[in-house]
Amino acid sequence: MVNEPIIQMRDVHKRFGQVHAVRGVSLDVFPAEVVVIIGPSGSGKSTLLRCINHLETPTSGKIIVDGIDATAKGADINALRAEIGIVFQLFNLFPHLTALGNVTLAQRVVRKRSKEEAEAIAMEQLTKVGIPEKAHVYPDQLSGGQQQRVAIARSLAMQPKIMMFDEPTSALDPEMIKEVLDVMLELANEGMTMVVVSHEMGFAKAAADRTIFLDEGVIVEDTTPEGLFTAPKHERTKLFLSKILH
Amino acid sequence: MAEPTVTTAELKGAKTRRISLADVPWWAVIIVVLGVYIGYAVLTSETYLKVISFVMEGVKLTLQTTLLAFILALVLGLLGGLGRVSKNPILYAMATLYVEVIRGLPMLVIILYMGFVIGPAIRDLTGGRFDPPMLQRAIIGLGFGYGAYLTEVYRAGIQSIHRGQMEAARSLGMTYFQAMRHVILPQAFRIILPPLVNNLSALLKDSSLISVIALSDLLQMGRLYVSRTFRAFEGYNTVALMYLVMTLALSLLGRVLERRMKVGE
Repeated sequence: MVNEPIIQMRDVHKRFGQVHAVRGVSLDVFPAEVVVIIGPSGSGKSTLLRCINHLETPTSGKIIVDGIDATAKGADINALRAEIGIVFQLFNLFPHLTALGNVTLAQRVVRKRSKEEAEAIAMEQLTKVGIPEKAHVYPDQLSGGQQQRVAIARSLAMQPKIMMFDEPTSALDPEMIKEVLDVMLELANEGMTMVVVSHEMGFAKAAADRTIFLDEGVIVEDTTPEGLFTAPKHERTKLFLSKILH
Repeated sequence: MAEPTVTTAELKGAKTRRISLADVPWWAVIIVVLGVYIGYAVLTSETYLKVISFVMEGVKLTLQTTLLAFILALVLGLLGGLGRVSKNPILYAMATLYVEVIRGLPMLVIILYMGFVIGPAIRDLTGGRFDPPMLQRAIIGLGFGYGAYLTEVYRAGIQSIHRGQMEAARSLGMTYFQAMRHVILPQAFRIILPPLVNNLSALLKDSSLISVIALSDLLQMGRLYVSRTFRAFEGYNTVALMYLVMTLALSLLGRVLERRMKVGE
């Protein structure tokens, strides 16, 4: 199975003033691959994700997504972003719109779909994440888990080629984590290309093709979940795992 | 079984009886009582009715000027606000310059300037083909002045929306302006509604300044009445009363909007 990577990162650096958050990351992600990134807080995981869809502009290096060099001048970042869904830790739903409004807005504005078409796709996605009955409810009346599932549906409705998750369960109460992870697992099983920043080991073991340990802005280990969790090679990985595994 | 039972009706009764005197909006009570008294006194007095009918034209002009100037200010404020939050240094500089210069000038000076400096300049520059009448100059002056205040209102409103909202919208492929229009501004607008109404009320009061360039607004008509009849007491009472009726109505509108928004949240 020889195919082109859908995400190619080459020697990507990101500095925020004095802080050097990402220090020369090179990474390939292939279609249908599920990559889970773990690492201590401040290790640059989120920044790395945000570089992929250009919420952060890399200071240097090259990022090619779906054949488009987003770091080149004049690249159509908006078109590229429509192909990369991202789910945030704090959901970031639009509070002035219902769940249905959240899922249809970008379809209509960006994809230029008709109201009927956008709503049909939105209902399909809300059904997929298990809350079609909440279509006409505003975000503040939804639980955290439900909000995050609406956020996933909102991204999926754009029919992206890649889905990224930035600590999607970190802001959730424990009893709601599973409902979100289940949706993510289902996506992974369907062959979605996924890049996930998360410390949910269960998810990594069940769904990840690769698990990456990132520390101080560099990739320390890039291996299978079993390899990383049971036989880490580097001292830094061992130290980190010993902390999160209790 | 002689246990005392409490019915819900009794509970409710106990609750309503417990409203303390401090909870009563005394200011509103006083306004209503005084309003009824003064309203009755004024509407049964022939002199006051005469003054009112005399200044009524002025009320119309005041309302018209206020409304048009406010619409202009809303547009300028929106553009200014977008400039103030823009990453484009030129737009930012232009908006900031506008706010700082205009806010540094008294409204009276702006109106005189529009009336006697900018207005004639426009006429001369266009060779007399475009000669805005005094009323238009006054409206533009007021609108420009309040546009600077509203710029800061819009800016504060836009900046009060969490950064994640813009990020989520942009991540879905929306352009900056699509995100502003569909995600940020609708939320910001709800937040700035009360200050917008406050500014409308302030603009209504400041519209009295246009009387200095000889426009027949409410104040000017009142002064005219006084100079003709020497009835300063009735004349200025009427003027004050008319302004108060209009600003109180706006203040009421502001409260209703604010309450609605709290319910909507």
